Amino acid sequence: MKGAGIIVRKELKRVFGDRKLVFSLFILPAILMIGIYSLMGNLIKSMETDITEHISEVYIVNSEEGFKQTAKAMKYEDGANVIYMTESDYAAQKADLEDRMLNGNIELIVVFDKNFESTIASYSKAGDPIPEVKVFYNSAENYSSQAYNVFSGVLSAYRTSLLAQRLGDLEQLNVFTQSDSRIVKEAKANNQFISMMLPYLITMLLFAGAMSVGVDAIAGEKERGTLASMLLSPVSRDSIVVGKLVSMAILSSLSAIVYAVSMIVAMSVMGSSMGELAESGFGNVSFGPSQCLMLLAIMLVMVYLYVAIIGLLAVLAKDTKTASTYISPVYIVVIIAGMITMFNSGKALPTYRYCIPVYGNALAIADLCSNELTATNFLASLGGTLLVAVIITFAVGRAFNSEKIMFNA
Amino acid sequence: MIKINNLTKIYKLGKKKMAELKTTNPEKIAVNGLSLETKEGEIFGLLGPNGAGKTTTLRCVATLLKPTDGEVSVCGFDTVKQGAEVRESICFLTNEIKLDPNFTADYMFKFFGRLHGMSEEAIEERQNMLFSQFGINDFKDKKIEELSTGMKQKAAIAVSLVHDPKVVIFDEPTSGLDIITARVVTDYLKQLKEEGKTVIISTHIMSEAEKLCDRIAVIINGQKACEGTLGEILEKTGADDLEEAFFRLYKEYNPEN
Repeated sequence: MKGAGIIVRKELKRVFGDRKLVFSLFILPAILMIGIYSLMGNLIKSMETDITEHISEVYIVNSEEGFKQTAKAMKYEDGANVIYMTESDYAAQKADLEDRMLNGNIELIVVFDKNFESTIASYSKAGDPIPEVKVFYNSAENYSSQAYNVFSGVLSAYRTSLLAQRLGDLEQLNVFTQSDSRIVKEAKANNQFISMMLPYLITMLLFAGAMSVGVDAIAGEKERGTLASMLLSPVSRDSIVVGKLVSMAILSSLSAIVYAVSMIVAMSVMGSSMGELAESGFGNVSFGPSQCLMLLAIMLVMVYLYVAIIGLLAVLAKDTKTASTYISPVYIVVIIAGMITMFNSGKALPTYRYCIPVYGNALAIADLCSNELTATNFLASLGGTLLVAVIITFAVGRAFNSEKIMFNA
Repeated sequence: MIKINNLTKIYKLGKKKMAELKTTNPEKIAVNGLSLETKEGEIFGLLGPNGAGKTTTLRCVATLLKPTDGEVSVCGFDTVKQGAEVRESICFLTNEIKLDPNFTADYMFKFFGRLHGMSEEAIEERQNMLFSQFGINDFKDKKIEELSTGMKQKAAIAVSLVHDPKVVIFDEPTSGLDIITARVVTDYLKQLKEEGKTVIISTHIMSEAEKLCDRIAVIINGQKACEGTLGEILEKTGADDLEEAFFRLYKEYNPEN
């Protein structure tokens, strides 16, 4: 196996000796990932700021003094340009106003019933008339939706003040109070988003990494006729297979690490610009050392499996183009396997499911995030994948020994 | 040195290949009962048209292909059972087998030296000798992809000789080379012969076979049509030159043409 080490060194030198390749394999993905996510975060943030800071155009019909006072007390007119109008004016402009709302030029139309407060004041028994407030807004416009939300707050305060006038003591309305306390594993609560996304991202990104280095390392060399020169050396073909697979595994692990780190950085950048997400445990992974080791073990067997699969398909293909064609369907299967674990209700699954390569690994990673991975399921996930990977490795070895595959003979 | 005994190589054709060759026969006999033996210190030429089975024969000698029938041995090692030992004693050069374009000639030389299990000092020593002989030192630190065809060929030859093989197998040594580089290559083959190495080449260029080879085997349709020195072949066929001899043999083996 001495030859394998020499081949690994050559493969690594091939990548790290080429600045363009290092850039496109390791640096560009990191820049892209962090760039895109922080851009997204900033855009969302500025959109939100813009919406909250927008002075909305609000038309209020038949407003009574009581409402105006409440609105004033709540400084409603600081964020809204309120136009009070009479019912007859409104009737004349109704079609025009609705048209302007449809086009997003005004945000809100509020129509109080005539004699609003006096109708309320004269209420004495069930069946007496109850006045109505009609609120018109455009739910497809962000400004209008925001204006609706803000106005609802004012209206609610107005309602409370009217209720207080009628009842005197608002405590009468409180039949009981409710107090909620959460009983939850901190790890699970913190990592809900992470445990949903992480298995999917890891299964997918590890494959993407292996794909980008594996196709060229085998199919590319075959296409260029450089693999044959290696087959002419006294090194055994098994050593060549091991050398190729090990170097692919090292490179794809590195690329996966780059992806993972940049994704965490990107998400915390995005999380910090989006306060709410950060609060809901967005970038909050807290793994203990044993969890880290388990995650590493799972990732290693996955990398091994991926590299073996890609190695096999790449050696069966006659050039890089064919290899990519062979690999695409596998990539789709991998993505789906990772995706299925995203929508898991949390029911405990039978152990045999953890034995299924890729899918079982994704399950194990999801459990790891929520601190629920049992030793049996962990080992099942490692064993199942490892077994399949070893079988595929033997297939790669056989393919390397086949003159039909290697020389199209 | 190289002993080919009744070598037969039959390719199994896939459906696609059969359609390509417009045949319904799923088997193609590339080499058919070929026997020959080369001696130390000679240049042996396989002369034949395209598709005659020259490359297949050489690939069997180089352990890249396994004979369907018959045996091939190099320096007493069987190419099937003792592949690693055979590969240790040969170098195989063709236009289809190339050096990785992403590396320098310098690195490729060291890489293959290491694969042959040589010590760094031995590699260094061998490199100094071969690189100055082929004039590679000027461009040894350039990536192979940046080199001209002639430079690439020189580098490929030097790298393939890193382990000082006893047998040099060269498939179409001058194909695709300009006249000057071709001369460098043929001169070097002669020098190897003088050093006592066995050189076996394939070619379809008559003049190359005439000038370079000590002995020639004319291969037609996977079979040996004639073997001997240039003089012996001319005598057997009653022709004035090799080209004429070749056509007489070709007609004999393809009577319908």
